[in-house]
Amino acid sequence: MRQIFYLVRQNLKRKPFRTWLMIGGIFLACATLFTAAILSKGIQYTLQTAGERLGADIVAVPADAREEALSALISGSPSTFYMPLSLEEKVRKTRGVQQTCAQVYLRSLDAACCVVQVALVGFDPERDFTINPWVLQKTAEPLQNNQLIVGAKVISAVVGTPAKAIGQRLMFMGKPFTVATILEPTGLGTDYTVFLTMDMAYRMTEESPLYPVPVKRDQISTILVKVDAGTDPALVAQSIEQNIPELKAVTANQLTRSFSRQLQNLVDALFVAGGIFSLLALILAGNLFALSVRQRMRELGLFRAMGAGRSLVFKLIVLEAVCIAGIGGFFGILAGFAAVYFGKDIITDMIGNLYMWPDTGYFLQTALTGMAASLLAGILGGLYPACRISGCEPYEAIRRGE
Amino acid sequence: MIRVETLSKQYKGVDVLNRINWRVEDGAFVIVTGRSGGGKTTLLSIVGGLTRPGEGKVFIDDADIWQLPEPELATLRNRKLGFVFQFPSLIPTLHVLDNVLLPIAFSGRNPNVEDREFAGSLLEMVGVTGKDDYSPSQLSGGQQRRVAIARAMINRPSIMLADEPTGDLDEKTEEEIMRLFQRINGQGTTVIMVTHALGYVKSGLAYTLKNSRLMPYEESEVASGSCAGEGEL
Repeated sequence: MRQIFYLVRQNLKRKPFRTWLMIGGIFLACATLFTAAILSKGIQYTLQTAGERLGADIVAVPADAREEALSALISGSPSTFYMPLSLEEKVRKTRGVQQTCAQVYLRSLDAACCVVQVALVGFDPERDFTINPWVLQKTAEPLQNNQLIVGAKVISAVVGTPAKAIGQRLMFMGKPFTVATILEPTGLGTDYTVFLTMDMAYRMTEESPLYPVPVKRDQISTILVKVDAGTDPALVAQSIEQNIPELKAVTANQLTRSFSRQLQNLVDALFVAGGIFSLLALILAGNLFALSVRQRMRELGLFRAMGAGRSLVFKLIVLEAVCIAGIGGFFGILAGFAAVYFGKDIITDMIGNLYMWPDTGYFLQTALTGMAASLLAGILGGLYPACRISGCEPYEAIRRGE
Repeated sequence: MIRVETLSKQYKGVDVLNRINWRVEDGAFVIVTGRSGGGKTTLLSIVGGLTRPGEGKVFIDDADIWQLPEPELATLRNRKLGFVFQFPSLIPTLHVLDNVLLPIAFSGRNPNVEDREFAGSLLEMVGVTGKDDYSPSQLSGGQQRRVAIARAMINRPSIMLADEPTGDLDEKTEEEIMRLFQRINGQGTTVIMVTHALGYVKSGLAYTLKNSRLMPYEESEVASGSCAGEGEL
């Protein structure tokens, strides 16, 4: 078998340009399809897990500040939008709503502690169901006014491992706080958010020169909603909007979808490009390979004359096709992986930190599927010329190759 | 021993070989001559297991080769037969030594040190030394033909089939190649050679293919184109 591989290798080196052209076609097809498959799966994951990550099925925000509010939720961008607290009660009474909790957003600010601008959000620790599930080290004690819960990326860059942040003292708007605990990474705006009690949030606006007009205690920014089990969040969101015109209610899936639409367009384009490249690769590599075999008919006839059996010649041709397809597939997948890995920043720019990468298992599975598909294409591409040549009598092959 | 019984072959309805009976004893040096397109190469390729006959049988050492399953026929070609063709037949992507060792690879094993030494001695015998790692394109036509002869000898075949091996070579090289075949024959290998070089017909048993029939060379001259009798000898 070593000799057979040697013959294959030598033959591939015979016309390097043609060989690389065939490999290149398969490479392009594999690279684009691999990238598209990974991104597409990522979008699917992102949509699936959005609700779980958000902790709420629906987010109700002031109707006139919808985009700003959604941007704050997704990326923690600076936002100050408010609505009357009384709306929460109305939402709670909507059919299908199981639980609500309100949050108040303060002006985002550059803090001495942190490498990024952080958002300050007040919440009610007793009623909250969106933050507590993400707390890294849970404590029995409710959050005190002089304590903070910080997002995973807020100070981790400064202190190294996030766990080291616990117990650290931080100053915000001239007030000292202790970090009570930190949140696990969510990929949402919470990663860049500092949470404090609602009471403390109002007090800070009352006492800080940053807020000439303090946020009133009957004002809130968002209402997070959990719906009854088995209830469709989209229907509940619709009822909220119908009953309370001052609100826009967005389901977790809608929230994610709006941000992933741009990426989906890219993925669609990649799939189309991958499909075109695959077709071109099949035509190009298939024709070039058939031509290459035709040009070597005499040589393959000579192999038979020297004692190579039909099956050996058959294997030789198929192995050659498989090698071309395998090399193209392997490097295509590597290139696809590199594109995905180094393109992370572009994707993050498109939809913020929300995008969720498929797990390693899916990467491996896609890579293996891509390899298997390439090899299969090689086998299929090699079959026809292999059957044709190996079916010839040796002398006939020699004569036709002259 | 090679035995051919009532061998016939047609191409597109035209008789190329017609009911040929022939016997070649072990160790013989046989020359087959005849007009171009007369069926010499076809006869050689049928005897060598490269082309299936239309009718008739070919026995090599009492085995009816065209009744053998394909893998066994391939093994027979590999072990018992050596071919030298009328055209350059070295594999251009392989070096000289690898070309010579190629039939060993087709026998299902990797060449070992002894094989390499034997290949070296064959190359020495054919007069191509110090060029083991040359590419065929770096050799002259005569050298390429010599390497092809060495390759045909690598599995120590009992029969060597040569189809116009000197056809495109100059006179001096032609003489050298013919001497080489005589030397190979002297070592006990049966040689059947198709050639137009009538100067060598006295080197061995000579036959001519005329009107699809095989007959002794001298007899054919006497017959001057008649088809009297079969070419049975």
